Amino acid sequence: MQILGACRYNFQMSVALGIDLGTTNSVAAIATPTGVEFILGPRGERVHPSVVAFPSSGGVVVGADAKRYRLTEPHHVIHSAKRFIGQNIRAPLVQLAMTGVRYRVEEGPNQQPIVVVRDRRMTMPEISSNVLLHLKRCAERQLGTPIKDAVVTVPANFTDGQRQATKEAGRLAGLDVMRLINEPTAAALAYGFGRDRQQVICVFDFGGGTFDVSILRLNGEVFEVLASEGDFFLGGDDLDRALGEVLAAECNRILRVDPRPHAALMMKLMMGAEAIKMHLSENDAAEGEIDGLDMPGAQGSRLPFQITRKQFEDLIAGYVNRTCEVTKQVLLTAGIDARSVSEILCVGGSTRIPLVRQRLAEVFRKEPNTKINPDEVVSQGAAIQAGSLVGNLSAGTGMGARDAVATTAHSMLGGGGNVVLPQQQAKRPILMDVNPATLAIQTAGGFTERLLDKNSPIPIERTRVFTTSRDNQTRVEIDCCRGEARRYTENEPLGTLVLDDLPPKPRGDLKIEVSFRVDADGILHVRASDQTTGIRQEAHLQVLGAPSAEDMPG
Amino acid sequence: MSQRTDVLLWAQRVLALTNAPAHQLLELKIDATIEQAQDAFHKIARTSHPDIHRSGLTPEELESVTLAYSRVAGAYQDFRSQRMQTSRMRPFKDAPPTPIPGLTPARPTTAPAPAKPASGATPAASTPAPAAPGSAAGSMNSKALIYYRKAELALRRGDLKGAMLQMKMAIAGDPQSTFLRSALVEIEAELAKSK
Repeated sequence: MQILGACRYNFQMSVALGIDLGTTNSVAAIATPTGVEFILGPRGERVHPSVVAFPSSGGVVVGADAKRYRLTEPHHVIHSAKRFIGQNIRAPLVQLAMTGVRYRVEEGPNQQPIVVVRDRRMTMPEISSNVLLHLKRCAERQLGTPIKDAVVTVPANFTDGQRQATKEAGRLAGLDVMRLINEPTAAALAYGFGRDRQQVICVFDFGGGTFDVSILRLNGEVFEVLASEGDFFLGGDDLDRALGEVLAAECNRILRVDPRPHAALMMKLMMGAEAIKMHLSENDAAEGEIDGLDMPGAQGSRLPFQITRKQFEDLIAGYVNRTCEVTKQVLLTAGIDARSVSEILCVGGSTRIPLVRQRLAEVFRKEPNTKINPDEVVSQGAAIQAGSLVGNLSAGTGMGARDAVATTAHSMLGGGGNVVLPQQQAKRPILMDVNPATLAIQTAGGFTERLLDKNSPIPIERTRVFTTSRDNQTRVEIDCCRGEARRYTENEPLGTLVLDDLPPKPRGDLKIEVSFRVDADGILHVRASDQTTGIRQEAHLQVLGAPSAEDMPG
Repeated sequence: MSQRTDVLLWAQRVLALTNAPAHQLLELKIDATIEQAQDAFHKIARTSHPDIHRSGLTPEELESVTLAYSRVAGAYQDFRSQRMQTSRMRPFKDAPPTPIPGLTPARPTTAPAPAKPASGATPAASTPAPAAPGSAAGSMNSKALIYYRKAELALRRGDLKGAMLQMKMAIAGDPQSTFLRSALVEIEAELAKSK
């Protein structure tokens, strides 16, 4: 018998946290027997800004409090770390992202980006671990129990390096990251868990910093991703920047000072742009002024603005068109006709923009689902998966989760009237996700041989047998890369595996078996062995931009 | 726990089938359709997906179930791509060349293969198709540059249509740039040729 009122959770069962670690905001939740419970911040907020501040007064501040330092100490406030995590700092897009932030980013060991605040040098996983630790502490305070296990979501198009770095961030925060799941898949899980239906859905995830779109087939408890495409550097931040540039030009025209070299001023304008963008999602025009723009030699410190929704839409049309192109592409890849998609889930704050929904409706000839909360649905899915992995799901979780998904309690999503015993064990959802990129190795002549295709189900292993190209070759280097180009150099290199001390034989006589295995987290493991001597090499590929090998566990 | 022994027996069976054709791993007939393969894969996932057995198995047992499942997933992907290849149209007339084998799929080879370049000697960035004078790319605004770079990537993939879209986006970001416009014209010409 359950003793009511004693405590909310059966502490024999472990509680596992589901975390949506976003570019701009993060949300955490746990699965309970009656639904999904959100982890609240110090002021009761569900959404925690992914911002870490190192104020002059000392210490580390995370979340909503950290955001307040953006104006006074813009150089000490680290935001958008997700844009850098696990990336090679020399990548052109990363170089561009660096122009969009006010804190210092330098090249560290293994070409990874390093944040420099005063005399502290921190890796991106360290920065993100502060956000995760903050969520962990909030959760422990709220639930009154220590928390160790977590499921963290990542954009579907995150690379191997970005995934490894995200896991590393979890480890640094003292969390055991049981699984990384893709954000669109998490959203689909939150929507579909417990519905037990057959349908094809599209998840359109347009967040602060990334854009992903996935097509899934829901078949009872099986969630199969058919195809996933994305654009890693496209998000709400870009829309803010586009509008911010217009404001900066206005500032230059009216106040006769170019604000662009002034970090704090630009930050202020970007924040203004963000507020205007949000206002325009609800209203047809935004009018007002941005004050507190104190600049040497300026004619006044207030910038009046007047922007209609139409003007804003013209400004962002290019970005929105791009998302629609990607959506059409993913439908093609999945081999699904737009009309057979029965539900379009909008995830991420940028999907609140009317133009985005309107264009999406044009693509599918159907209105997107507006009942889910685009900011919270991903963390709900993560919480359900976390609960499932620790064996802590009941049928009630699904019903409750769906109520939480719908803004109105007894909406069409609730199904109504179904009485489910709260402690009944639910069928565990089975996620069949896909790997986001084609993985290949270099063969002589500089060409590639594909081992794993994009959109293959994961976890997956594929093995192929290769041979040597020269007589008496005793050493083989296996260069692994990511990308679809036929030429090796046109793809993104992932790392090299070396097989040494092979027996000298005529070319073509050695049989070298190369296995690519992508685990359920989307992380690649490569193994190569010589079938005659049994010489084996296994590698966790050391990806440029990721934390170096000695930082990694195992 | 029959569920436990069932999945372990299944894993043993799968792992014993090294170098077996895809349909055997999926327990299908050789002439099965894609739909049948999908059903078979879903059925296997429902009973044998490692996530369902996380708590019931020892770490070693879970590892072997995961490996078996991963191999079946590989077989499913093989099966799918074999079937698709026969039905899909080629996107471009000039099909990519078959790889010159060096470290090569194991089949007899006569082509003298050049020594592989040492790792690390890989050029940092190869010149993109419409050769960009550094200054032209450098003087673009950041939005245009993002899309220009994406256009480059699309070109490298051989995705002309994608490159065209990206280039148009770049032009939207920097309408004054004659460099971008001429690059777009080049791509459009290529696209027309390929049609």
